[in-house]
Amino acid sequence: MTILDIWLGILRGLGTTAAVTGYGLVFAVPFALLLGVAQYLTRGIARLAITCIIEFWRSSAVIILLFFFYYTLPVVGVTLSAWTVSAMVLGLNAGGYASQAVRAGLQALPAGQREAGKALGLSRATTLLLIELPQALVAMSPTFVNTLIQLVKGTALVSLVTLTDMTFRAKEIAQIEYNPIAIYSALLMAFFVVCYPIALMGRWLEARIGKSGGRFGGI
Amino acid sequence: MGFDPDFAVSSVPIILSALGTTLAVALASCIGAAIIGFAFELIRRAGGLGGATTRFIIDFIRSTPVLAWLYFLYYVLPFYGIRINAIGTGIIALSLYYSGYLAEVFKAGIDAIPRGQSEAAKALSLSRRDTIVHVIAPQMLRNIAPPLGNYFVSILKATPYLAVLAVPEMLGRAFDIASEIYRYAEPLAAAGLIFLVLALLVSAGVKRLENQLLWSGTR
Repeated sequence: MTILDIWLGILRGLGTTAAVTGYGLVFAVPFALLLGVAQYLTRGIARLAITCIIEFWRSSAVIILLFFFYYTLPVVGVTLSAWTVSAMVLGLNAGGYASQAVRAGLQALPAGQREAGKALGLSRATTLLLIELPQALVAMSPTFVNTLIQLVKGTALVSLVTLTDMTFRAKEIAQIEYNPIAIYSALLMAFFVVCYPIALMGRWLEARIGKSGGRFGGI
Repeated sequence: MGFDPDFAVSSVPIILSALGTTLAVALASCIGAAIIGFAFELIRRAGGLGGATTRFIIDFIRSTPVLAWLYFLYYVLPFYGIRINAIGTGIIALSLYYSGYLAEVFKAGIDAIPRGQSEAAKALSLSRRDTIVHVIAPQMLRNIAPPLGNYFVSILKATPYLAVLAVPEMLGRAFDIASEIYRYAEPLAAAGLIFLVLALLVSAGVKRLENQLLWSGTR
């Protein structure tokens, strides 16, 4: 097996890695937006309940969450595919992190923004959707990019629940060919090739937001 | 079948018997990551070829999953005749992986120190070593306490990754119990809950320490 064969073999898993990431975002984005905003708006018991949900997904070890839901859901009669379980666990974990960025971004806005919305006679929901959220999301976009990278890297875990991502392919090749250096450095390189451009994009966003003077202009 | 709460409860003491291993791995990895991360940042800061190489290494580490590093080190180190047990390999992998993140934390901490500080040290003709140890490091530590604490909690939550190398930490013990009678849900639920409580406790402790550090720093 040549180095090229090893590379091609690992890249056969790229589709799964990308699919789990995309499917994970389906869970992560709504979760982050809804719970981040909810945590920002609520007080008292309601806020405590929301915080508990976020902390469950954010503060648990993601590898345990994955195994737990993979093995436990069938026991209580819920049968989901390994795809869905993986996307849900990785997505909600990333969403939990992103929700904190959403909330922090909203809290960091000057109160004048909300007050100006009120003075213009806009409803609370309209103020939130048209004035607060756009500014908060732009300001926090570098953080979201970092969370996306974490999500892509987190997909390596799905190899442990039978999905054939790049990590799974590498282990598969390692079983038929004793060349750990070539195989596992190719795996690391493959992730680097996927994640580094995303990181560069994040840096570009950060510079762009920093340069635009007013924190929220520019983009 | 169904979920058997009694079995879950009975697995708690067995899982907790590995608490020491989990905490030892986490502590060793925190220290390792801090040392490597600080060294990385100092070399990167010095510039030149070494600085550029280190910059690339840090970016590379941050763009690759910890699971891939675990496999890489586990299979590649013995290839070079370096025989370390699975725990040692795991600690090296976690230290290396998180050093990339801590280097960024140290960078932000050093950047936040006013230029006048290092200029004053130069004016007093302190050596580079004395400047780092007595002028830069103490001020940096106060700047970086919160993000450093967060990464230490992340390291704790990453220790169950070592279960894939059959290290008998808490998740590993949970799998031992599970595979004895082929019931995974209960021990994994117990392990997940223990990790969640542990992570929340440690993050609360870290927050307290931070506050004390901040107060002791303000005069």
